[in-house]
Amino acid sequence: MKQSPEKKARKKAAMAYLVSAPSLVLIFLIVVFPILYTGYISFTNMNTYHWFNFDFIGLSNYGRALLVFDSGFLSALLMTVVWTAVNMALQLMIAFLIANLLNVKHLPLRNVYKTILMFPWAMPGYVSILLWKTGMFNSQFGLLTQWMEDISGLTVRWLQNDVSAFICCTVVNLWLALPFMIMIMDGGLKSIDRSYYESATLDGAGPIRQAIAITLPCLKPIIGPSVMITLFTTFKQFDVIYLMTQQVGSQTGAHIHTIITYAYENAFITNNYGYSSAISIMIFMMLIIFAQVTNRRSKEANA
Amino acid sequence: MKAKTVKRMVSGTAINLFFVACCFLALLPILYALSVSLDARGSLLSSNFSFIPKEFTLAHYARVFMEEPVILWFQNTMLLTAATVILAMATAVPAAYVFSRKRFPGRTAVLRVLLLLYSFPSILSMFAIYKLMSTLGLVNTHIGLIVIYAGTMSVFALLNMKGYFDAIPVEIEEAGRMDGCNDLNIVTKIVLPLARPTLIVTGVMIVNFVWNEYIFSINFLTGSDRMTLASGLYSLQATETSGSWPVFAAASLVVSFPVLVIFFLSQKHMVSGLTSGGVKG
Amino acid sequence: MRKVLCSLMVCVLFLLTGCSGSTDPQGAKSGPVTITIWHDKEDAVIAVLQEAVQALEPEVTVLFEKKTGMTESLKLVGNDQNAAPDMYFFAHDKIGVYAEMGILTPITELLGEDALAGYVPLTIQGATYQGTIYQVPLYFETLLFMYNKKYMAQEDVPATTEQLYSYMQRKTKYGHYGFVEQHSTPYYAAGWIHGFGGSLITDAGVPCLDSAEVKAALDYHKKFVAYMPGETEYATVNTLFMEGMAHATIAGPWFVPTVRAAGIDVGIAPMPVVDETVLPLAPYSGIQGLHVLKVQTERKKDAIVKVLQVLMQPEVSVKLAKVSGCAPAVESCYTLEEVTADPLIMAMKQTAETAIPMPNIPEMDVMWTVAGDLLTNVNMSGQDIESAAAAAQKKALELIEAMK
Repeated sequence: MKQSPEKKARKKAAMAYLVSAPSLVLIFLIVVFPILYTGYISFTNMNTYHWFNFDFIGLSNYGRALLVFDSGFLSALLMTVVWTAVNMALQLMIAFLIANLLNVKHLPLRNVYKTILMFPWAMPGYVSILLWKTGMFNSQFGLLTQWMEDISGLTVRWLQNDVSAFICCTVVNLWLALPFMIMIMDGGLKSIDRSYYESATLDGAGPIRQAIAITLPCLKPIIGPSVMITLFTTFKQFDVIYLMTQQVGSQTGAHIHTIITYAYENAFITNNYGYSSAISIMIFMMLIIFAQVTNRRSKEANA
Repeated sequence: MKAKTVKRMVSGTAINLFFVACCFLALLPILYALSVSLDARGSLLSSNFSFIPKEFTLAHYARVFMEEPVILWFQNTMLLTAATVILAMATAVPAAYVFSRKRFPGRTAVLRVLLLLYSFPSILSMFAIYKLMSTLGLVNTHIGLIVIYAGTMSVFALLNMKGYFDAIPVEIEEAGRMDGCNDLNIVTKIVLPLARPTLIVTGVMIVNFVWNEYIFSINFLTGSDRMTLASGLYSLQATETSGSWPVFAAASLVVSFPVLVIFFLSQKHMVSGLTSGGVKG
Repeated sequence: MRKVLCSLMVCVLFLLTGCSGSTDPQGAKSGPVTITIWHDKEDAVIAVLQEAVQALEPEVTVLFEKKTGMTESLKLVGNDQNAAPDMYFFAHDKIGVYAEMGILTPITELLGEDALAGYVPLTIQGATYQGTIYQVPLYFETLLFMYNKKYMAQEDVPATTEQLYSYMQRKTKYGHYGFVEQHSTPYYAAGWIHGFGGSLITDAGVPCLDSAEVKAALDYHKKFVAYMPGETEYATVNTLFMEGMAHATIAGPWFVPTVRAAGIDVGIAPMPVVDETVLPLAPYSGIQGLHVLKVQTERKKDAIVKVLQVLMQPEVSVKLAKVSGCAPAVESCYTLEEVTADPLIMAMKQTAETAIPMPNIPEMDVMWTVAGDLLTNVNMSGQDIESAAAAAQKKALELIEAMK
């Protein structure tokens, strides 16, 4: 019953695909097919005037889409990169700090803290953003504004200028995203063998040294995928920035655009599906490039 | 010895203070919503806000339960959530395991593609998803939404769990194989128990996603008897011409509560998952 | 592994059998007909309609379904016989988009040419797109000048914008505001532009954001904005008025019950007249009514016509006006005492002489965003009007070009 190694390898691959088939089929149906279809639409003139009787018009949507990629788009792209970098750095640092502190010895209220820190995560995102915007940052009645007035006597229009609006959006984004990160890190920390620390302590390594030499390297492979996922979530973030500063009827005067909000304002409101699909596909292409760059940097994705 | 105790007390107090501050920040908007929902005067904004309602009332909560089909929405959401978790996990767990453990042609390519797919905002392809569902006759059905949700979350579930499986040493499985376990036994008896934290985290993430998703459900479902909690909540949203802030705030808290309970329950299991096990990173 | 697969299949099968079959079969040729109407209105409004159509049972049953995000959903399902409603009840401003998409049935095809003869001209203007009527108007709303009688005495109520300005100068202090409005929201700020004889967009769909009138209006409006709070969204503006911190505002009729409930003695006045042009501030108005979807018309024409006719009765309009706080679309209602006795409705009827229906052309879809950006840039970011208007005009032209 000896099989040739080739045959065995083929059988192994077939088995692997068979087992993962249900998941891959589902993903193909709901994720891949729609992207392909969006690609197809991008070659047609589907818009308000040709809604059901659209024709194939080749690449002309792409030709026009290039116009969107003007200087405004470039600054939006830069903003997106800054936004992603700032948010990821803060998220990782704060989550690492909190997760580590949650795991110190002699913290009887550990589970209480942990549960409360998860609260933001349970609220629907748009509700939270709405609450932050109207409840906290409103320049007349916002809680933070009132406190600021009490402390310094100054009325701050938080969302009106670009820098402070960027900070406010970052605060809200952190508030929304930290619970997941803390939870992942906490889970990761739990999986690190205690004995490493014990022997490190015997060797006289302090807590900071231990964090760098043991915790970080051990944590990296475990949280790697989640970090990648969060990275993309941050990159494509739309709700926070749009709802906080740009929603029609409640614009605040700040001009922070990421590529997604920029594309929204410059293409999606036109009801021209052919045109906006072309832009979606082009943004997707850029994400692919972005991912390639990140992939090269992180060994993790090659694992 | 004494200096050490003092030092420990000081650092313990500092840590506790830090966490109290963190918790306060985490709760700030939620306390705000709570106060608005319990106050009879009924405005989200007020020139002198206090966390303790000045005129206490439960009327807004009563309105949520009496005037809106919240129980029905709750049932719909439960059905959708449970079905999505089952479908997504049943498909993604074997796939994640295979992608973590087996080496076969095309594996790396598929993983790369999956990560990219995750970067594509699904909202951009909603129209295509609608066409697909309409062809399958699944528009305005719960099963249509279940498939959409499970498909959307599958990418995340697969990648997230694969990462954790990678961290479980192969040696443990090899030991099992020596004892005569077959593949299936290794997975169910050894790997899955060890991977419990990630199974729970992933499951809870899916629950959370389905629970709070409203864009697909408001577009794909019609009629308030089919709605989910999140889309029902969205329809209650306080706009200029309709709706009331306190009722909306009350409904938000009611909707969020079950997720908190689920989280609270799952947390215990997460803690017990790996601490005793011998998994080395 | 096989076990996993099997259990998976079982799960899928279970789900398929458990959840499918919930699509309701529509449109049996004979026998009772169900007419589905999507809407986004308050329960009280729907109760009036539901009561009126009760007369048609059992031949025709009308099902009102509240739909969130209706405008987007109609784009998705508008041509899908299984998912589209038979009618929808909404404001008139999306008519152009849907008519161009080809999902609406002209009303005259159903009811004949003269069916809407006795309607207030404003409502017909709003219901008409390129010479064809696509809506049966039920009621309309216009924005109103409201003031708090406690602070603003009868003789202080401004007849002109300069009087309003001097009132704001005198009274805007100690946290009080003489007048607040959603100054950077196009729906509201358009009143100022119309007051200068300008408009955001022509009937032919050409934006005119850099016209002399618009720029003059923006420039003039800016000195009022200086006396208003920075936040422009409705929650801030309305709360200021409800808490008695703002003496006057511009708001829709829907706001009046809330204000009265907050214990404010509210007065309604005609819109101030712009001194320079002698034109009153002319805000946009919305006409709410029924639209019929083409995809369902053929099979259910008779039933649809019956439902429309029942809902067009003047009595229904009057009742609707009562519960919605809006003004009836049928002219003959204004001879009835219960209507003439209501100062709010009569104020709206009066405003209807000058008010301008929101443009219903597809091009308007992008104008809301562009005009909102322009107003924000001028009022809040302090940009130069000349260059901001030119940039907005350029962007509007680009976006409209991109629609085609």
